[in-house]
Amino acid sequence: METKPLGGKQIEVDEDGFIQDPGAWDEAVAKDLAVTEGVNDMSENHWKVVNYLRNYYLEFQMAPMIRKLCKETGFKLKEIYDMFPSGPAKGACKVAGLPKPTGCV
Amino acid sequence: MKKRVKIEDISRRSSQLSTLAKEDFKPLPPPFDKPEATPDFAPLSPAAREKYEGSLDDTIAVSIPKPKSKEEEERLVAGFLSGLEKLFTKENNWTFLQPLLLSMEHCATCHTCSEACHIYEASGHNPIYRPAYRSEVFRRLYKKYVKSKGKLLQAWRDGEIELNWTTVARLAELAYRCNLCRRCAQTCPIGVDNGLIAHEIRKLFSQELGIAARELHDNGSVLQLKVGSSTGMNSLVVKDNIQFIDEEVSEKTGLSIQTPWDKAGADILLIHNAGEIMAWPMNPGAFAVIFEVAGLSWTMSSEIAGYDSINYGLWYDDAQFARVALKHAQAAKKLGVKKIVLGECGHAHKALTVIADRVLTGDLNIPRESSMVLLESLIASGRIKVDPSRNDFPVTLHDPCNLVRLMGVVEPQRRVLRRIAPRFREMEPHGVHNYCCGGGSGFAIMSGHNFADWRCQIAGRKKVEQILNAFKDELDPSIQKYVCAPCSNCKGQLRDLIAYYDLWEKHSIMYDGLVELIVNCMTDVKPGFIEWEQH
Repeated sequence: METKPLGGKQIEVDEDGFIQDPGAWDEAVAKDLAVTEGVNDMSENHWKVVNYLRNYYLEFQMAPMIRKLCKETGFKLKEIYDMFPSGPAKGACKVAGLPKPTGCV
Repeated sequence: MKKRVKIEDISRRSSQLSTLAKEDFKPLPPPFDKPEATPDFAPLSPAAREKYEGSLDDTIAVSIPKPKSKEEEERLVAGFLSGLEKLFTKENNWTFLQPLLLSMEHCATCHTCSEACHIYEASGHNPIYRPAYRSEVFRRLYKKYVKSKGKLLQAWRDGEIELNWTTVARLAELAYRCNLCRRCAQTCPIGVDNGLIAHEIRKLFSQELGIAARELHDNGSVLQLKVGSSTGMNSLVVKDNIQFIDEEVSEKTGLSIQTPWDKAGADILLIHNAGEIMAWPMNPGAFAVIFEVAGLSWTMSSEIAGYDSINYGLWYDDAQFARVALKHAQAAKKLGVKKIVLGECGHAHKALTVIADRVLTGDLNIPRESSMVLLESLIASGRIKVDPSRNDFPVTLHDPCNLVRLMGVVEPQRRVLRRIAPRFREMEPHGVHNYCCGGGSGFAIMSGHNFADWRCQIAGRKKVEQILNAFKDELDPSIQKYVCAPCSNCKGQLRDLIAYYDLWEKHSIMYDGLVELIVNCMTDVKPGFIEWEQH
């Protein structure tokens, strides 16, 4: 597995740049992951999405349904795509330090 | 530019057997008819080329780590040979030996299959994507190492091919440049099944060498057998998610919907592709609305795999296939249901209703039915009342290959659409002659490296052409258009194609399943079920 400098640490990432150990995540890591997703400035709204994903993950060990994410954060899917150009699963989840989503999603 | 590639070139070490250039790809209809109107094909990163076997073309699907020594290469080639031999014995290939043998013995090299293949056509006739290229490589290896047992004269007659790690690594990747749609098999005058051969090559690699696409194996069937679903949902999470969906559809429809769980003695066990629950929740929601309004006796199951109909083994591994099929049947048996009904998932249909016939015997051989058939009967009988004027927008139908060409479920969904969608029009060609969406055989969930570019620009190109042509008189973005795709895997690919070519922003082309269209026009529910926005 490849390692990458993120948030001042060397962290293992898969070939799509998702971090492998969700425990290695912190805000500095998130900021650097955001840059890999073309997000250079994490706004309050970005953090709202990321924190929701993070908290859901810590409770359920997986990503939430996209519809739940939209409902709980109050953002339309299009707004999430505007914030994270690769979308909620491949973009926002990556910044939140979740593993890459699996299955037919 | 494309160059001629001979069968034996696959064994010759070179940086790449073939290259792809956007200018070669088949032009799309306007406004995508110039190469610059479509996104660029991202190159593979130097790190990926360094680490993984990528000497076939300009992408990587399987991510096979490069062997670190000559000994490791030899061990892998020996493993391939051992798998090759096993593939041709009854004990090790009780599923597909007979059709495989027929396809090995009887190719007349007429190349009728080439013109039937959407990947070959879309690539601008790249020689390595001919369905028969892969098959002929494999056929020569079979004749040299299995059939003639090393008799040199015979091997020479059949065309010499060298077996080395380059051949093996390229063959593994090449097995993942085919959607397994089997349009080539349908057109072959003598019934050679090049799709089956691609499947058998994938199987050899998985079962003998542990080489398979990670999305299908580690994060697919292995995860499903461990926690219950390839999405990672365990039984608690899936129930929580379905409760959320019940609340959402109740609010949208004005009905009170509650999905029944683990109801012993129900008539029907409904199994969705669990990806629907995660990514297209209004699909399972719409099923619940229809089943409740129709007053059906039905349930979902919270057993391992009982709430996820996927069976990725269908695409790459018979053992994993059998393990999952057994779980599905056991969930139904435990509840004592009369039949299993499969939601809108093409490969799950073929896996459980057709191929699983080789696995499920005795009291596990529980009747299995397509939701297309049940939905048609509910509408034709008047148990579900519809007002087609609510669906007054252009609709076309995508035929999932597994459901339509490979199972013959052609008309039920069309009879529904003719009843509920006044502006329904067919794609050309359609029905059993349809083209794959380009996501078939697992590609829809594979996006490593630059594979999404390959999938959207080559594998999905024909489908984009068909969709644009189906709506060609109404492309104006003021007219919202609906591609009905009753299959999760196809929907995943359509979502990516629509985003890749910006079809929603440019042309208001959206996609979803069949049940959403049905609920949208049910007189028992509030109007406006379909969500015309990106999702």
